[in-house]
Amino acid sequence: MPADFTVEDLKRAGDRRRVHDLRAGKGGARSLKLLWLLIGPGILVMLGENDGPSMISYAQTGASYGVGFFLPFIALTFGMAFVIQEMTVRLGAATKRGHAELIYARFGRFWGFFAMADLVFGNLLTLVTEFIAVRAGLGFFGVPPGIAVLGAFLVVVAVVLTRRYWTWERITLGFAIFNLIFVPVALLAHPVSSQVVRAFFTWGPLPGGVTAGFILLVMSNIGATVTPWMLFFQQSAVVDKGLTTADIRHGRIDTAIGATLAAIAAIATVLATAPLFAHHVDASNLEGAAFAQALVPYVGNVGATLFAIGIFEAGLVAAITISSSSAYAFGEVMGGARSLNSPLREGWLFYAVLIAAAAIAAVLVLIPNAPLVFIVLLVNVIAVLAMPPAIVFLMLLVNDREIMGEHANGPMANFFGITVTILLVLAGLIFGITTIFPHMIPS
Amino acid sequence: MITDTEIKQVQAALPNPATLWVHEVLEPDQFSAAKQPFGRQALSRRTVLLLWGLRVYVVLMVLLVAMQTWNAFHNAQ
Repeated sequence: MPADFTVEDLKRAGDRRRVHDLRAGKGGARSLKLLWLLIGPGILVMLGENDGPSMISYAQTGASYGVGFFLPFIALTFGMAFVIQEMTVRLGAATKRGHAELIYARFGRFWGFFAMADLVFGNLLTLVTEFIAVRAGLGFFGVPPGIAVLGAFLVVVAVVLTRRYWTWERITLGFAIFNLIFVPVALLAHPVSSQVVRAFFTWGPLPGGVTAGFILLVMSNIGATVTPWMLFFQQSAVVDKGLTTADIRHGRIDTAIGATLAAIAAIATVLATAPLFAHHVDASNLEGAAFAQALVPYVGNVGATLFAIGIFEAGLVAAITISSSSAYAFGEVMGGARSLNSPLREGWLFYAVLIAAAAIAAVLVLIPNAPLVFIVLLVNVIAVLAMPPAIVFLMLLVNDREIMGEHANGPMANFFGITVTILLVLAGLIFGITTIFPHMIPS
Repeated sequence: MITDTEIKQVQAALPNPATLWVHEVLEPDQFSAAKQPFGRQALSRRTVLLLWGLRVYVVLMVLLVAMQTWNAFHNAQ
């Protein structure tokens, strides 16, 4: 037993004591209260991944293909995300180590460097797109870009400086739940329920068939649900929250709730922009705010306003979670503080990395004439391409009985994990082949 | 809200038995300063090949994305 403990430990112990007390007590609402205490990382990672580029990607999907193939496809991608993220819950709870720390410890610096390079590059690009979303969402209300970006950056800093994981998690969850704002927008678009039901059963229609644009949207929609930062973030958050192997079941429920909510918000976004497809509106060059404006004739001013708020919220929540994943990974690799419970004195470098990651992205967004729309589209594609190596590291770790013990993957989890990996590699290869040989399919 | 300084003061002032609950609710590995390092995993030749294969895959795909980026800008002009 350790002789002493830190302030960080004391804060975590305070959170864990509430869980212990609930488990020891009795009462009808006990299981609900326990769920309330233990949810967080799963919902945050899933709603965090419904970020700026993801929501713009779903909006593009609805505007380009309407109600059809992409509805069940999006539901499938969230099923894939659940399969992958559930493994990070078990890894974090069983090893009490973050993802970056485990990769470095088990595979060494050489392979660890590659994993971190993918993460840092992907996170920086993605963070830029989150501030693009913030800028676009608030731009609908006439807020100047500089003020929008600075305001969002200050919110990220303020939430982090609570120096308390629990407070940070609850505030971010409060923001994240606004992702469901796309549901009323979808209802205002009056989707035909029979078309929606038919789409889920028939995986169609697919207007125009398989084209280069279709493949780009498939890649973009996959990249909107499974990305490397999610692995690093959820495992580190599980550890920071203090979840143990006794909490794995609740961690799974948390992840399933997150996947369900995120899938509902994503599908709602497709339904919200489907009228643009039905009325043959060219949406190929629309950004977040322009989407909201284009939707006014179909969902009214209220719907367009909600849509713009949704784009802003998506960027803000992801800016908080993605900058946290960078800081967690940095702290784990450097062997320093890696907790949102760290006091400023001990964790200053951890907080500095987190704030610097957000600051760099915020500044990049404000560079005049930067190709922002292109970066948004590129980010999801790069996320898909970087995912297979990340999943292989995950699969190796989660099958490692030396560190996982009885919580290692079973045959079923391996089957699903390998299937998802193969699907991602195939998606990347199809993208690659159609890029090299563009005449193989219609443009 | 309790500040970190106040927590430290309370922690220092309390007798050891009063802080036993911390050791009761946290598992040994959950203490930030007490984590035992894991050893390296021996990677099989097949695993190393797979990791290299995927690294090559990522590099090639990034080149393709760069190529598409170039084409997109070229066509836009």
